Amino acid sequence: MILPDPISYAVPGFVVLIIAEMLWARRKAPLAYEPQDTLTSLMFGLGNQAAGLLFGALIWQISLWVYQWHLFDVQWTWWAWGLCFVLDDLMYYAFHRSAHRVRWFWASHVNHHSSQHYNLSTALRQTWTGFFAASFIFRFPLLIIGFPPAMVVFVGALNLIYQFWIHTEAIGRMPRWFEAVMNTPSHHRVHHAVNPGYLDKNYAGVFIIWDRMFGTFTPERDEDRPRYGIVRQLGSFNLIWGVFHEWVGIVRDVWSAPWRAKLGYLFAPPGWSHDGSRESSDTIKARWAEVHAERPVLQSVANLQHSNTELPPGP
Amino acid sequence: MAGGLAIAAQLGASLVAVLALAGLARRLGLGGDVRIQSQDHARQIAFEALYGFAAVDVTVDRAGHSALLKDAQNHHSLITKVGNRFVTHRLASHLSAYLDQQFLTIDLDEPGTEPVTLNLGEDAQRWASGLRYLPL
Repeated sequence: MILPDPISYAVPGFVVLIIAEMLWARRKAPLAYEPQDTLTSLMFGLGNQAAGLLFGALIWQISLWVYQWHLFDVQWTWWAWGLCFVLDDLMYYAFHRSAHRVRWFWASHVNHHSSQHYNLSTALRQTWTGFFAASFIFRFPLLIIGFPPAMVVFVGALNLIYQFWIHTEAIGRMPRWFEAVMNTPSHHRVHHAVNPGYLDKNYAGVFIIWDRMFGTFTPERDEDRPRYGIVRQLGSFNLIWGVFHEWVGIVRDVWSAPWRAKLGYLFAPPGWSHDGSRESSDTIKARWAEVHAERPVLQSVANLQHSNTELPPGP
Repeated sequence: MAGGLAIAAQLGASLVAVLALAGLARRLGLGGDVRIQSQDHARQIAFEALYGFAAVDVTVDRAGHSALLKDAQNHHSLITKVGNRFVTHRLASHLSAYLDQQFLTIDLDEPGTEPVTLNLGEDAQRWASGLRYLPL
């Protein structure tokens, strides 16, 4: 069966929603956007589209090859569509968690997190190196079960389309029942935040229930406003550096590391180092807990006044 | 051939949309101006960004675009403005610093970063001296 590409149909909607969010930002939160950051994010998206055109056919051929060994013949029924969508979202959770906890996958996924802004253009800040990182292997279990490759690709695209609208600060909280089951702007703001309490949380794609089930859920707290980006901010709008910086770091580290540590620089969590000289999210959280115990007053002051305060024109 | 043209047209249309949206963001005046307002503000930024950096000495660039901070163990950090956000760097001994009267230029020698010039007034010389003896 030949199915259309839902993403190409969704793109006009993406553009309209970005314009709507910009108009909202103009009135309510001009700092939510930074034109240079927006351009960089959208160029990431364009490069991702080009990478898809380059490697899509190859990934499709690999998927057909894997499908040879399917265990069941899942038919094109309504329940198969529903089940495939839910299981694909579970696989997305597994991919996404790995993308934050295994440096090899992080080197590709970091692109999506490297903006210090959180708006709909950030949603399109997608990797160029997903094929190289072999992120597509996380869909293999569905093919082995027996879901048709076209169905798997289609529901994967629907999953991505769903995730677009949650990249915004324009929406506070959704109704309680919706927040309980679905991934929402509030839950996903937490995921993009670098606040110590938010690191490595809320990996969900569509259904937040996976985080609740596997112990990685944390709610957004009004007193701990998210600060976005990565723990060592890029500090640059350079597109090429943004795309490849973590891969460059991996090459350098593996090259200079002692033999016993080389694999660690590839597959240990981001920030791991063989001599303990760097910080991973785990060490950051542990240190923050110590700092918080020692300096609760200073932390509460930091929470009261957000770093990015808009000022009247300077002197 | 036709497939190649279709792909080129698709990418071309996407590029036009990208440039139009980025241009619209500029046209709408999005972005705004942020400055480091005070030494306390600089302390907060570094404390948050470096997860507990407790500055005991701070100097802020006269325009509020950047700041230098030092903790009790003589670790230094530098806050710079990137767009309308701030980025805080831990300073390492391999950086280069150049003093020109009240202007202190710091080159972090890290990929993707540009040298930063701070107008520190009378503080410039003292901070330039401090940067010579950074802990490894």
